[in-house]
Amino acid sequence: MEGIFARLVVLAASGMLLTGLIVLWRKGVPAYIAAFTWQSWLLSGMTAAVGYLGGEPQLYLVAVILLLLKGIALPALLRATDRRFSTRRELLAYVNTETSLIVGGMLVLFAYVLTEPWMAMTKLPTRAALPVAMALLFVSLFIIVSRKKAITQVIGFLMLENSIALLAVVGTYGVPLLVELGVFLDALMGFLVMQIFLYDIHETFETLEVDQLARLKH
Amino acid sequence: MAELSAVVAQTLLAVMLAPGLVGLIRWIKARLQSRRGAPPWQIYFELRKLFAKEIVISRTASWLFRAAPLIVFGTSVVVASLVPLVFIPVAFDRTGDLFAAVYLLLLGTFFLALAGLDTGSAFGGMGSSREMTVVALTEPTVALSIFALALTAGSTNLGVIATRTLADPGMALGPAHVLGFPALFIVALAESGRLPIDNPSTHLELTMIHEAMVLEYSGPYLALIEWASALKFFLLLALAANLFVPWGIAQSLAPLDLLAGFAALTVKMAILAVAVAVLETRVAKLRLFRVPELLSASFVLALLAVMSTMFVR
Repeated sequence: MEGIFARLVVLAASGMLLTGLIVLWRKGVPAYIAAFTWQSWLLSGMTAAVGYLGGEPQLYLVAVILLLLKGIALPALLRATDRRFSTRRELLAYVNTETSLIVGGMLVLFAYVLTEPWMAMTKLPTRAALPVAMALLFVSLFIIVSRKKAITQVIGFLMLENSIALLAVVGTYGVPLLVELGVFLDALMGFLVMQIFLYDIHETFETLEVDQLARLKH
Repeated sequence: MAELSAVVAQTLLAVMLAPGLVGLIRWIKARLQSRRGAPPWQIYFELRKLFAKEIVISRTASWLFRAAPLIVFGTSVVVASLVPLVFIPVAFDRTGDLFAAVYLLLLGTFFLALAGLDTGSAFGGMGSSREMTVVALTEPTVALSIFALALTAGSTNLGVIATRTLADPGMALGPAHVLGFPALFIVALAESGRLPIDNPSTHLELTMIHEAMVLEYSGPYLALIEWASALKFFLLLALAANLFVPWGIAQSLAPLDLLAGFAALTVKMAILAVAVAVLETRVAKLRLFRVPELLSASFVLALLAVMSTMFVR
């Protein structure tokens, strides 16, 4: 039972990592939003599974909030934002797709090396997912720094938030509920603030490419 | 002795069924595109027609041009005898190595590229250059997805990998299998010149890869090459099917087991044929400069598959 549980957790975590890598590969904001939605659903399902098998009933509540907030509400908001600001499908990045993907692979390797001592210490059945969660964290950071459009960077930030939640779930079976709720609220507030910023950037510069922010208002 | 004849029968079965698979995919594709399409067995008539035609060879062609079709067909047949299709050979399995199978197929590709250059036609050279570009990008992925399977099974032997997965069904749910399968599938499409990378049904000079290489061939030589590439495609798909999802494959030579193994192989290949046909109907051919993106994505998948074997340990 524990073996299958551990495998399912690693599988779900790998799925989340894959959705992160899809952002490095695909072009176009709708694909990114779809990837983020999948990632949130996977995270929610996995949180519920860890809650069931780890005997932590409070994780059910976390899973439901995750599903409602990150699986349904935030993707809808993102889609609305994209509809309002969408200019062209082809997205710009500082690093080309091939290099991004290879860098993504290297980051996963780095995460594995980094978490090795931690893996040796812990005896949790979910420990195999730790390097995957850490890898997702690095990949989302890479998405934030390597993309030119502000909306893609916002998606990178949300994925970063997802990876931290994943790390909390597989590393410690979830942090106390109060802290979790605080984090959700922070993420939501952060997203709303960024939404306002996106709107302002678009108003001022008529583009969402952060390259353009270097020059002064025309 | 019984096993030897079974291996020979299995090889012949693969050689005979391979064009049928390609024909089936063409037929499903035609149906999906609301055309009537030629029946799946049409391709056998085409091969027979080609075998009856005369051979026209350019005056500038050397012995390589004549040898290449035989080498390509020969290596494919040898690989067909290594891959577990209907049953898992035990005594004859010493040579059934994943590396041997993949690199024998590559040897055929290599000679085909040489033959494309041999006649000195512009198309042949262009096709060879493109094919080598694609193969150079797919090779690391093939090696890595093999490593991922070999690391989980503890052996590069094809039969052993299939047997291990049969003994521990949970392994097929492990990330090594889940990530390795799409990687190998993309590479199989690339190596056999299927749609997102190369379009097998057109001779458009700007985009063709495989067709450009074999443009100078005619008659029986062309038939051999077409047959060999169908066989290669069949084998790559069978390899993906039987290594990642080995259920149903016969582990003994009992007639009932063999029958079940044959049925399982047919079902698996039919599912893959439908998948390929749907994929080829839905996607357009990638621009040549976009191909490396897809192939590096499959490379990263394979890399993750290898690394996941380290995570799970």
